[in-house]
Amino acid sequence: MIRNTSPAKGSAAFLLVIFLLATCASFMALKVKTDTIVRKRVPGSSIIYIPSGKFLRYATFGYSALAADAIYLWAIQYYSTPTIDDRFNYLDHIFAIISDLDPTYTDPYETGALIASAEAGDTGLAFKILDNGAAKNPGQWLFPFEAGHIAMMNLKNYDLAMQYFKKCMDLPGAPDFTKRLYANALYKKGDNETSWQTWLEIYNTAPDERTKKIASNHLYQVKSAMDTGRLKEAVGKFRERYGRFPAELEDLVRSRLLGKLPKDLDGQDYVYDPKSGDVKAATIPWKR
Amino acid sequence: MKITAIAGITFKEAKRDRILYLLFFFAAVAIITSRVLAILTVGDRVKIIKDVGLASISIFGVLMAVLIGTSLVYKEIDKKTIFTLLSKPLHRAQFILGKFLGLVLTLFVMTVLMSLIFLVLLYFHTFKVEWTMLVAIAYIFLELVLITAVAIFFSSFSTPILSSIFSLAFTLIGHLSWGLELLIKKMRAGAGRSAAQFFYLFLPDLENFNFKTEVVHGLPIPAGIYLYSFLYGIFYTAFILGLTILVFRRRDFI
Repeated sequence: MIRNTSPAKGSAAFLLVIFLLATCASFMALKVKTDTIVRKRVPGSSIIYIPSGKFLRYATFGYSALAADAIYLWAIQYYSTPTIDDRFNYLDHIFAIISDLDPTYTDPYETGALIASAEAGDTGLAFKILDNGAAKNPGQWLFPFEAGHIAMMNLKNYDLAMQYFKKCMDLPGAPDFTKRLYANALYKKGDNETSWQTWLEIYNTAPDERTKKIASNHLYQVKSAMDTGRLKEAVGKFRERYGRFPAELEDLVRSRLLGKLPKDLDGQDYVYDPKSGDVKAATIPWKR
Repeated sequence: MKITAIAGITFKEAKRDRILYLLFFFAAVAIITSRVLAILTVGDRVKIIKDVGLASISIFGVLMAVLIGTSLVYKEIDKKTIFTLLSKPLHRAQFILGKFLGLVLTLFVMTVLMSLIFLVLLYFHTFKVEWTMLVAIAYIFLELVLITAVAIFFSSFSTPILSSIFSLAFTLIGHLSWGLELLIKKMRAGAGRSAAQFFYLFLPDLENFNFKTEVVHGLPIPAGIYLYSFLYGIFYTAFILGLTILVFRRRDFI
Protein backbone atom coordinates (compact mmCIF):
# COMPACT_ATOMS: atom_id res chain seq x y z
CA MET A 1 0.00 0.00 0.00
CA ILE A 2 1.34 3.41 -0.91
CA ARG A 3 0.99 5.91 1.92
CA ASN A 4 -0.62 9.20 0.96
CA THR A 5 1.99 11.88 1.62
CA SER A 6 0.30 14.86 0.01
CA PRO A 7 1.39 18.39 1.12
CA ALA A 8 -2.03 18.88 2.77
CA LYS A 9 -1.54 15.78 4.92
CA GLY A 10 2.03 16.87 5.75
CA SER A 11 0.93 20.30 6.89
CA ALA A 12 -1.91 18.76 8.94
CA ALA A 13 0.64 16.55 10.72
CA PHE A 14 2.86 19.57 11.30
CA LEU A 15 -0.07 21.52 12.76
CA LEU A 16 -0.92 18.55 14.97
CA VAL A 17 2.64 18.45 16.32
CA ILE A 18 2.48 22.20 16.99
CA PHE A 19 -0.85 21.65 18.76
CA LEU A 20 0.69 18.87 20.88
CA LEU A 21 3.66 21.04 21.85
CA ALA A 22 1.38 23.97 22.69
CA THR A 23 -0.98 21.88 24.84
CA CYS A 24 1.97 20.16 26.53
CA ALA A 25 3.59 23.53 27.35
CA SER A 26 0.22 24.82 28.59
CA PHE A 27 -0.51 21.99 31.01
CA MET A 28 3.08 22.06 32.30
CA ALA A 29 2.80 25.81 32.93
CA LEU A 30 -0.57 25.25 34.63
CA LYS A 31 1.00 22.54 36.79
CA VAL A 32 3.60 25.08 37.97
CA LYS A 33 0.79 27.57 38.61
CA THR A 34 -1.39 25.15 40.60
CA ASP A 35 1.63 24.17 42.71
CA THR A 36 1.98 27.78 43.86
CA ILE A 37 -1.56 27.81 45.26
CA VAL A 38 -1.56 26.66 48.86
CA ARG A 39 -4.52 24.47 49.70
CA LYS A 40 -5.77 24.01 53.24
CA ARG A 41 -5.14 20.61 54.70
CA VAL A 42 -6.64 18.64 57.53
CA PRO A 43 -3.84 17.95 60.07
CA GLY A 44 -2.34 14.57 59.25
CA SER A 45 -4.78 14.08 56.38
CA SER A 46 -2.06 12.66 54.15
CA ILE A 47 -1.70 9.60 56.36
CA ILE A 48 -4.84 9.57 58.49
CA TYR A 49 -6.54 6.96 56.32
CA ILE A 50 -3.73 4.40 56.34
CA PRO A 51 -5.33 1.35 57.92
CA SER A 52 -3.80 -0.66 60.73
CA GLY A 53 -0.88 -2.96 60.00
CA LYS A 54 -2.90 -5.99 61.09
CA PHE A 55 -5.35 -5.33 58.25
CA LEU A 56 -2.63 -4.42 55.77
CA ARG A 57 -0.86 -7.69 56.53
CA TYR A 58 -3.79 -9.54 54.95
CA ALA A 59 -4.25 -6.96 52.21
CA THR A 60 -0.65 -7.32 51.00
CA PHE A 61 -1.21 -10.95 49.93
CA GLY A 62 2.03 -12.34 51.31
CA TYR A 63 4.13 -9.29 50.42
CA SER A 64 3.95 -7.82 53.91
CA ALA A 65 7.75 -7.48 54.19
CA LEU A 66 7.83 -5.60 50.89
CA ALA A 67 4.99 -3.36 52.07
CA ALA A 68 6.94 -2.73 55.31
CA ASP A 69 10.00 -1.72 53.25
CA ALA A 70 7.92 0.62 51.09
CA ILE A 71 6.22 2.29 54.07
CA TYR A 72 9.56 2.58 55.90
CA LEU A 73 11.23 4.24 52.88
CA TRP A 74 8.30 6.57 52.50
CA ALA A 75 8.30 7.34 56.26
CA ILE A 76 11.97 8.37 56.18
CA GLN A 77 11.25 10.86 53.40
CA TYR A 78 8.02 12.02 55.05
CA TYR A 79 9.52 12.65 58.48
CA SER A 80 12.56 14.41 57.06
CA THR A 81 10.39 16.99 55.32
CA PRO A 82 10.23 19.95 57.72
CA THR A 83 7.59 21.73 55.62
CA ILE A 84 4.95 19.20 56.74
CA ASP A 85 4.08 20.82 60.07
CA ASP A 86 1.80 18.06 61.34
CA ARG A 87 4.03 15.17 60.29
CA PHE A 88 4.50 13.85 63.83
CA ASN A 89 0.75 13.49 64.52
CA TYR A 90 0.61 9.86 63.41
CA LEU A 91 4.19 8.80 64.04
CA ASP A 92 3.06 6.09 66.44
CA HIS A 93 0.55 4.75 63.90
CA ILE A 94 3.03 4.60 61.01
CA PHE A 95 5.75 2.73 62.91
CA ALA A 96 3.16 0.41 64.45
CA ILE A 97 2.07 -0.49 60.89
CA ILE A 98 5.66 -1.29 59.85
CA SER A 99 6.06 -3.35 63.01
CA ASP A 100 2.85 -5.28 62.30
CA LEU A 101 3.88 -5.92 58.70
CA ASP A 102 7.43 -7.04 59.50
CA PRO A 103 7.94 -7.48 63.26
CA THR A 104 11.58 -8.58 62.93
CA TYR A 105 12.68 -5.58 60.85
CA THR A 106 14.81 -3.78 63.45
CA ASP A 107 15.75 -0.56 61.63
CA PRO A 108 12.28 1.04 61.75
CA TYR A 109 12.10 0.66 65.56
CA GLU A 110 15.46 2.41 65.91
CA THR A 111 14.63 5.13 63.38
CA GLY A 112 11.12 5.62 64.73
CA ALA A 113 12.46 6.02 68.27
CA LEU A 114 15.12 8.45 67.03
CA ILE A 115 12.52 10.56 65.20
CA ALA A 116 10.23 10.48 68.25
CA SER A 117 12.94 11.51 70.72
CA ALA A 118 15.12 13.84 68.65
CA GLU A 119 12.63 15.38 66.19
CA ALA A 120 9.18 15.15 67.78
CA GLY A 121 10.50 15.54 71.36
CA ASP A 122 8.25 12.71 72.51
CA THR A 123 10.46 10.39 74.58
CA GLY A 124 7.40 8.51 75.82
CA LEU A 125 6.65 7.48 72.25
CA ALA A 126 10.31 6.57 71.68
CA PHE A 127 10.12 4.16 74.63
CA LYS A 128 6.82 2.79 73.32
CA ILE A 129 8.34 2.05 69.89
CA LEU A 130 11.46 0.47 71.39
CA ASP A 131 9.44 -1.55 73.94
CA ASN A 132 7.29 -2.80 71.06
CA GLY A 133 10.47 -3.83 69.22
CA ALA A 134 11.76 -5.59 72.33
CA ALA A 135 8.43 -7.39 72.85
CA LYS A 136 8.42 -8.66 69.26
CA ASN A 137 12.16 -9.46 69.26
CA PRO A 138 12.86 -10.68 72.81
CA GLY A 139 16.44 -11.76 72.04
CA GLN A 140 17.47 -8.42 70.48
CA TRP A 141 19.65 -6.32 72.82
CA LEU A 142 19.51 -3.23 70.64
CA PHE A 143 16.09 -2.02 71.84
CA PRO A 144 16.76 -1.87 75.60
CA PHE A 145 20.18 -0.43 74.77
CA GLU A 146 18.67 2.43 72.72
CA ALA A 147 15.95 2.98 75.34
CA GLY A 148 18.60 3.16 78.08
CA HIS A 149 20.54 5.67 76.03
CA ILE A 150 17.45 7.89 75.54
CA ALA A 151 16.59 7.64 79.27
CA MET A 152 20.12 8.62 80.21
CA MET A 153 20.89 11.33 77.64
CA ASN A 154 17.49 12.91 76.94
CA LEU A 155 15.52 12.38 80.14
CA LYS A 156 18.39 12.17 82.65
CA ASN A 157 16.26 9.49 84.23
CA TYR A 158 19.13 7.34 85.53
CA ASP A 159 16.89 4.88 87.33
CA LEU A 160 15.06 4.08 84.08
CA ALA A 161 18.35 4.02 82.14
CA MET A 162 19.75 1.55 84.67
CA GLN A 163 16.72 -0.74 84.22
CA TYR A 164 17.08 -0.74 80.42
CA PHE A 165 20.85 -1.30 80.53
CA LYS A 166 20.33 -4.16 82.98
CA LYS A 167 17.85 -5.76 80.53
CA CYS A 168 20.31 -5.26 77.68
CA MET A 169 23.24 -6.79 79.63
CA ASP A 170 21.24 -9.96 80.20
CA LEU A 171 20.70 -10.53 76.49
CA PRO A 172 23.10 -12.49 74.30
CA GLY A 173 25.35 -10.44 72.04
CA ALA A 174 25.03 -7.25 74.07
CA PRO A 175 28.25 -5.18 73.81
CA ASP A 176 30.61 -5.20 76.81
CA PHE A 177 30.33 -1.47 77.28
CA THR A 178 26.65 -1.81 78.28
CA LYS A 179 27.86 -2.86 81.72
CA ARG A 180 29.94 0.32 81.86
CA LEU A 181 26.88 2.39 80.93
CA TYR A 182 24.93 0.55 83.62
CA ALA A 183 27.64 1.28 86.22
CA ASN A 184 27.70 4.92 85.14
CA ALA A 185 23.89 5.15 85.43
CA LEU A 186 24.20 3.76 88.98
CA TYR A 187 26.75 6.46 89.77
CA LYS A 188 24.59 9.22 88.25
CA LYS A 189 21.62 7.92 90.22
CA GLY A 190 23.70 8.28 93.40
CA ASP A 191 24.02 4.58 94.20
CA ASN A 192 27.80 4.83 94.72
CA GLU A 193 28.17 1.54 96.61
CA THR A 194 26.64 -0.59 93.79
CA SER A 195 28.39 1.52 91.17
CA TRP A 196 31.74 0.88 92.93
CA GLN A 197 31.08 -2.87 93.02
CA THR A 198 30.11 -2.92 89.33
CA TRP A 199 33.12 -0.86 88.23
CA LEU A 200 35.38 -3.08 90.32
CA GLU A 201 33.91 -6.13 88.60
CA ILE A 202 34.52 -4.48 85.20
CA TYR A 203 38.08 -3.64 86.24
CA ASN A 204 38.82 -7.18 87.38
CA THR A 205 37.36 -8.79 84.25
CA ALA A 206 38.58 -6.19 81.72
CA PRO A 207 39.74 -7.91 78.53
CA ASP A 208 42.22 -5.16 77.62
CA GLU A 209 44.25 -2.30 79.09
CA ARG A 210 41.95 0.37 77.65
CA THR A 211 38.90 -1.03 79.44
CA LYS A 212 40.96 -1.40 82.60
CA LYS A 213 41.97 2.26 82.38
CA ILE A 214 38.36 3.39 81.80
CA ALA A 215 37.20 1.30 84.80
CA SER A 216 40.05 2.66 86.92
CA ASN A 217 39.08 6.27 86.10
CA HIS A 218 35.47 5.55 87.02
CA LEU A 219 36.56 3.84 90.25
CA TYR A 220 38.53 7.00 91.01
CA GLN A 221 35.44 9.09 90.31
CA VAL A 222 33.13 6.93 92.44
CA LYS A 223 35.59 6.75 95.35
CA SER A 224 36.12 10.52 95.18
CA ALA A 225 32.35 11.06 95.22
CA MET A 226 31.97 8.82 98.28
CA ASP A 227 34.96 10.38 100.10
CA THR A 228 34.17 14.01 99.30
CA GLY A 229 30.58 13.31 100.38
CA ARG A 230 31.75 12.09 103.78
CA LEU A 231 34.24 14.98 104.09
CA LYS A 232 31.62 17.60 103.18
CA GLU A 233 29.25 16.09 105.72
CA ALA A 234 31.96 16.32 108.41
CA VAL A 235 32.78 19.91 107.38
CA GLY A 236 29.09 20.76 107.79
CA LYS A 237 29.01 19.24 111.29
CA PHE A 238 32.23 21.12 112.20
CA ARG A 239 30.60 24.39 111.15
CA GLU A 240 27.51 23.61 113.21
CA ARG A 241 29.69 22.96 116.24
CA TYR A 242 32.20 25.85 115.95
CA GLY A 243 30.34 28.36 113.78
CA ARG A 244 33.09 28.39 111.17
CA PHE A 245 34.65 26.18 108.50
CA PRO A 246 37.72 24.18 109.61
CA ALA A 247 41.05 25.85 108.70
CA GLU A 248 42.30 22.53 107.29
CA LEU A 249 40.91 19.01 106.85
CA GLU A 250 43.06 17.68 109.71
CA ASP A 251 40.80 19.73 112.07
CA LEU A 252 38.07 17.15 111.33
CA VAL A 253 40.26 14.36 112.80
CA ARG A 254 41.34 16.53 115.76
CA SER A 255 37.71 17.30 116.58
CA ARG A 256 36.95 13.52 116.25
CA LEU A 257 34.43 14.03 113.46
CA LEU A 258 36.47 11.62 111.33
CA GLY A 259 38.74 8.74 112.40
CA LYS A 260 41.25 9.52 109.66
CA LEU A 261 41.33 11.51 106.45
CA PRO A 262 40.55 9.50 103.34
CA LYS A 263 42.87 9.65 100.33
CA ASP A 264 41.90 9.33 96.68
CA LEU A 265 42.56 6.20 94.62
CA ASP A 266 46.03 7.48 93.72
CA GLY A 267 46.90 8.10 97.41
CA GLN A 268 46.59 11.89 97.10
CA ASP A 269 44.89 14.20 99.62
CA TYR A 270 41.61 15.85 98.70
CA VAL A 271 41.75 19.57 97.96
CA TYR A 272 39.99 21.70 100.57
CA ASP A 273 38.91 25.37 100.31
CA PRO A 274 38.59 26.79 103.90
CA LYS A 275 36.69 29.86 102.62
CA SER A 276 33.78 27.93 101.06
CA GLY A 277 34.19 24.61 102.88
CA ASP A 278 34.26 22.84 99.50
CA VAL A 279 36.15 19.56 99.07
CA LYS A 280 37.29 18.30 95.65
CA ALA A 281 39.38 15.47 94.24
CA ALA A 282 42.97 16.40 93.42
CA THR A 283 42.72 15.17 89.82
CA ILE A 284 40.06 15.13 87.11
CA PRO A 285 39.40 11.36 86.62
CA TRP A 286 39.88 11.48 82.81
CA LYS A 287 43.24 13.26 83.13
CA ARG A 288 44.90 10.73 85.41
CA MET B 1 -22.04 17.28 12.62
CA LYS B 2 -20.10 14.13 11.82
CA ILE B 3 -18.54 14.23 15.28
CA THR B 4 -21.93 14.52 17.00
CA ALA B 5 -23.28 11.65 14.88
CA ILE B 6 -20.42 9.38 15.95
CA ALA B 7 -20.78 10.62 19.54
CA GLY B 8 -24.48 9.71 19.45
CA ILE B 9 -23.77 6.24 18.07
CA THR B 10 -21.02 5.73 20.68
CA PHE B 11 -23.42 6.79 23.43
CA LYS B 12 -26.04 4.29 22.18
CA GLU B 13 -23.40 1.59 21.90
CA ALA B 14 -22.09 2.28 25.44
CA LYS B 15 -25.67 2.20 26.77
CA ARG B 16 -25.97 -1.38 25.54
CA ASP B 17 -22.74 -2.43 27.26
CA ARG B 18 -23.67 -4.72 30.16
CA ILE B 19 -20.44 -3.89 32.00
CA LEU B 20 -21.68 -0.31 32.38
CA TYR B 21 -24.76 -1.45 34.28
CA LEU B 22 -22.74 -3.90 36.32
CA LEU B 23 -20.36 -1.13 37.41
CA PHE B 24 -23.27 1.21 38.07
CA PHE B 25 -24.91 -1.45 40.22
CA PHE B 26 -21.74 -1.91 42.27
CA ALA B 27 -21.29 1.86 42.56
CA ALA B 28 -24.86 2.20 43.87
CA VAL B 29 -24.28 -0.67 46.34
CA ALA B 30 -21.02 0.94 47.52
CA ILE B 31 -22.70 4.34 48.02
CA ILE B 32 -25.59 2.79 49.93
CA THR B 33 -23.17 0.62 51.95
CA SER B 34 -21.62 3.84 53.30
CA ARG B 35 -24.77 4.05 55.45
CA VAL B 36 -23.86 0.70 57.04
CA LEU B 37 -20.23 1.74 57.50
CA ALA B 38 -21.38 4.95 59.17
CA ILE B 39 -23.20 2.87 61.80
CA LEU B 40 -19.89 1.23 62.73
CA THR B 41 -18.11 4.50 63.39
CA VAL B 42 -17.84 6.49 66.60
CA GLY B 43 -18.42 10.18 65.92
CA ASP B 44 -19.24 11.88 62.64
CA ARG B 45 -21.31 9.44 60.58
CA VAL B 46 -21.96 11.93 57.80
CA LYS B 47 -18.23 12.20 57.14
CA ILE B 48 -18.04 8.45 56.45
CA ILE B 49 -21.00 8.66 54.07
CA LYS B 50 -19.40 11.60 52.23
CA ASP B 51 -15.99 9.90 52.02
CA VAL B 52 -17.31 6.53 50.83
CA GLY B 53 -19.83 8.15 48.47
CA LEU B 54 -17.33 10.42 46.74
CA ALA B 55 -14.73 7.64 46.58
CA SER B 56 -17.29 5.29 45.00
CA ILE B 57 -18.23 7.84 42.33
CA SER B 58 -14.53 8.35 41.59
CA ILE B 59 -13.45 4.68 41.59
CA PHE B 60 -16.40 3.29 39.61
CA GLY B 61 -16.26 6.26 37.25
CA VAL B 62 -12.61 5.47 36.51
CA LEU B 63 -13.48 1.79 35.97
CA MET B 64 -16.28 2.74 33.56
CA ALA B 65 -13.99 5.10 31.62
CA VAL B 66 -11.21 2.52 31.42
CA LEU B 67 -13.22 -0.64 30.73
CA ILE B 68 -15.49 0.91 28.10
CA GLY B 69 -12.97 3.40 26.68
CA THR B 70 -10.28 0.80 26.02
CA SER B 71 -12.58 -1.36 23.90
CA LEU B 72 -14.26 1.42 21.89
CA VAL B 73 -11.75 1.88 19.06
CA TYR B 74 -10.39 -1.67 19.32
CA LYS B 75 -13.86 -3.16 18.74
CA GLU B 76 -14.26 -1.16 15.53
CA ILE B 77 -10.91 -2.43 14.27
CA ASP B 78 -11.47 -5.99 15.47
CA LYS B 79 -14.96 -6.26 13.91
CA LYS B 80 -13.68 -4.48 10.78
CA THR B 81 -16.53 -1.94 11.00
CA ILE B 82 -13.83 0.73 10.84
CA PHE B 83 -13.52 0.06 7.09
CA THR B 84 -17.13 1.06 6.53
CA LEU B 85 -16.67 4.19 8.60
CA LEU B 86 -13.36 5.32 7.11
CA SER B 87 -14.52 4.68 3.56
CA LYS B 88 -17.00 7.52 4.14
CA PRO B 89 -15.86 11.16 3.90
CA LEU B 90 -14.86 11.08 7.54
CA HIS B 91 -11.57 12.32 8.95
CA ARG B 92 -9.89 10.05 11.44
CA ALA B 93 -9.70 12.94 13.92
CA GLN B 94 -13.49 13.27 13.71
CA PHE B 95 -13.83 9.56 14.42
CA ILE B 96 -11.64 9.82 17.54
CA LEU B 97 -13.33 13.00 18.79
CA GLY B 98 -16.77 11.47 18.20
CA LYS B 99 -15.83 8.34 20.15
CA PHE B 100 -14.40 10.49 22.94
CA LEU B 101 -17.45 12.76 23.22
CA GLY B 102 -19.81 9.77 23.11
CA LEU B 103 -18.07 8.16 26.04
CA VAL B 104 -17.84 11.47 27.90
CA LEU B 105 -21.60 11.81 27.51
CA THR B 106 -22.10 8.26 28.83
CA LEU B 107 -19.88 9.03 31.83
CA PHE B 108 -21.71 12.29 32.41
CA VAL B 109 -25.03 10.45 32.64
CA MET B 110 -23.52 7.81 34.93
CA THR B 111 -21.89 10.46 37.16
CA VAL B 112 -25.21 12.31 37.42
CA LEU B 113 -27.03 9.09 38.39
CA MET B 114 -24.40 8.09 40.97
CA SER B 115 -24.40 11.64 42.38
CA LEU B 116 -28.18 11.58 42.68
CA ILE B 117 -28.08 8.39 44.76
CA PHE B 118 -25.29 9.89 46.87
CA LEU B 119 -27.00 13.25 47.43
CA VAL B 120 -30.34 11.61 48.26
CA LEU B 121 -28.65 9.34 50.80
CA LEU B 122 -26.85 12.36 52.24
CA TYR B 123 -30.10 14.32 52.37
CA PHE B 124 -31.69 11.67 54.59
CA HIS B 125 -28.87 12.19 57.10
CA THR B 126 -28.42 15.95 57.05
CA PHE B 127 -31.89 17.03 55.81
CA LYS B 128 -30.28 19.56 53.49
CA VAL B 129 -28.88 19.41 49.98
CA GLU B 130 -25.10 19.56 50.25
CA TRP B 131 -24.31 21.62 47.16
CA THR B 132 -20.61 21.79 48.01
CA MET B 133 -20.40 18.10 47.15
CA LEU B 134 -21.04 19.07 43.55
CA VAL B 135 -17.66 20.83 43.44
CA ALA B 136 -15.87 17.59 44.25
CA ILE B 137 -18.11 15.63 41.84
CA ALA B 138 -17.52 18.14 39.01
CA TYR B 139 -13.75 17.73 39.33
CA ILE B 140 -14.11 13.94 39.61
CA PHE B 141 -15.92 14.16 36.27
CA LEU B 142 -13.09 16.29 34.84
CA GLU B 143 -10.66 13.55 35.93
CA LEU B 144 -12.89 10.97 34.22
CA VAL B 145 -12.80 13.03 31.01
CA LEU B 146 -9.01 12.93 31.04
CA ILE B 147 -8.93 9.20 31.79
CA THR B 148 -11.39 8.60 28.95
CA ALA B 149 -9.00 10.35 26.57
CA VAL B 150 -6.15 8.19 27.90
CA ALA B 151 -8.22 4.99 27.50
CA ILE B 152 -9.07 5.90 23.89
CA PHE B 153 -5.41 6.76 23.23
CA PHE B 154 -4.25 3.30 24.32
CA SER B 155 -7.22 1.68 22.61
CA SER B 156 -6.10 3.22 19.29
CA PHE B 157 -3.01 1.00 19.08
CA SER B 158 -3.30 -1.73 21.73
CA THR B 159 -5.53 -4.56 22.92
CA PRO B 160 -8.27 -3.86 25.52
CA ILE B 161 -6.45 -5.79 28.28
CA LEU B 162 -3.17 -3.95 27.80
CA SER B 163 -4.99 -0.64 27.33
CA SER B 164 -6.86 -1.19 30.62
CA ILE B 165 -3.60 -1.90 32.43
CA PHE B 166 -1.94 1.18 30.90
CA SER B 167 -4.91 3.40 31.67
CA LEU B 168 -5.14 2.22 35.28
CA ALA B 169 -1.36 2.72 35.61
CA PHE B 170 -1.85 6.25 34.27
CA THR B 171 -4.50 6.87 36.95
CA LEU B 172 -2.23 5.47 39.65
CA ILE B 173 0.74 7.55 38.49
CA GLY B 174 -1.52 10.59 38.34
CA HIS B 175 -2.41 10.22 42.00
CA LEU B 176 1.15 9.51 43.13
CA SER B 177 3.19 11.88 40.94
CA TRP B 178 3.23 14.52 43.70
CA GLY B 179 5.73 12.25 45.47
CA LEU B 180 8.29 13.22 42.83
CA GLU B 181 8.40 16.70 44.37
CA LEU B 182 9.76 15.15 47.55
CA LEU B 183 12.39 13.24 45.56
CA ILE B 184 13.43 16.39 43.67
CA LYS B 185 14.02 18.22 46.95
CA LYS B 186 16.37 15.42 48.07
CA MET B 187 18.28 15.26 44.77
CA ARG B 188 21.44 17.17 43.97
CA ALA B 189 21.40 19.59 41.03
CA GLY B 190 22.29 17.88 37.77
CA ALA B 191 20.89 15.84 34.91
CA GLY B 192 19.02 13.46 37.23
CA ARG B 193 17.27 16.29 38.99
CA SER B 194 16.40 18.03 35.73
CA ALA B 195 14.93 14.78 34.40
CA ALA B 196 12.92 14.33 37.61
CA GLN B 197 11.68 17.94 37.32
CA PHE B 198 10.61 17.35 33.73
CA PHE B 199 8.73 14.18 34.65
CA TYR B 200 7.17 15.97 37.61
CA LEU B 201 5.71 18.57 35.25
CA PHE B 202 4.93 16.19 32.41
CA LEU B 203 3.31 13.33 34.29
CA PRO B 204 -0.36 13.86 35.12
CA ASP B 205 -1.22 15.31 38.52
CA LEU B 206 -4.71 14.02 39.17
CA GLU B 207 -4.59 15.46 42.68
CA ASN B 208 -5.40 18.77 40.97
CA PHE B 209 -8.94 17.38 40.56
CA ASN B 210 -9.16 16.06 44.11
CA PHE B 211 -11.32 18.36 46.23
CA LYS B 212 -12.83 15.58 48.29
CA THR B 213 -10.98 16.43 51.54
CA GLU B 214 -11.83 20.12 51.27
CA VAL B 215 -15.57 19.64 50.69
CA VAL B 216 -15.94 16.90 53.31
CA HIS B 217 -14.17 18.95 56.00
CA GLY B 218 -15.61 22.27 54.81
CA LEU B 219 -12.18 23.78 54.22
CA PRO B 220 -11.89 26.95 52.15
CA ILE B 221 -10.75 26.35 48.56
CA PRO B 222 -8.59 29.08 47.00
CA ALA B 223 -10.52 30.63 44.10
CA GLY B 224 -7.62 30.35 41.63
CA ILE B 225 -7.33 26.60 41.95
CA TYR B 226 -10.78 26.08 40.37
CA LEU B 227 -9.78 27.81 37.17
CA TYR B 228 -6.21 26.48 36.93
CA SER B 229 -7.25 22.89 37.70
CA PHE B 230 -10.03 23.13 35.13
CA LEU B 231 -7.66 24.50 32.47
CA TYR B 232 -5.05 21.88 33.43
CA GLY B 233 -7.60 19.14 32.83
CA ILE B 234 -8.73 20.65 29.51
CA PHE B 235 -5.19 21.11 28.17
CA TYR B 236 -4.03 17.68 29.31
CA THR B 237 -7.09 16.07 27.70
CA ALA B 238 -6.47 18.06 24.50
CA PHE B 239 -2.84 16.89 24.50
CA ILE B 240 -3.84 13.23 24.88
CA LEU B 241 -6.50 13.54 22.19
CA GLY B 242 -3.96 15.22 19.87
CA LEU B 243 -1.57 12.36 20.54
CA THR B 244 -4.35 9.82 19.83
CA ILE B 245 -5.17 11.49 16.52
CA LEU B 246 -1.47 11.55 15.58
CA VAL B 247 -1.15 7.81 16.30
CA PHE B 248 -4.47 6.89 14.70
CA ARG B 249 -3.72 8.85 11.50
CA ARG B 250 -0.64 6.73 10.92
CA ARG B 251 -2.34 3.36 11.45
CA ASP B 252 -2.87 0.99 8.56
CA PHE B 253 -5.81 -1.35 8.99
CA ILE B 254 -4.85 -3.86 6.33
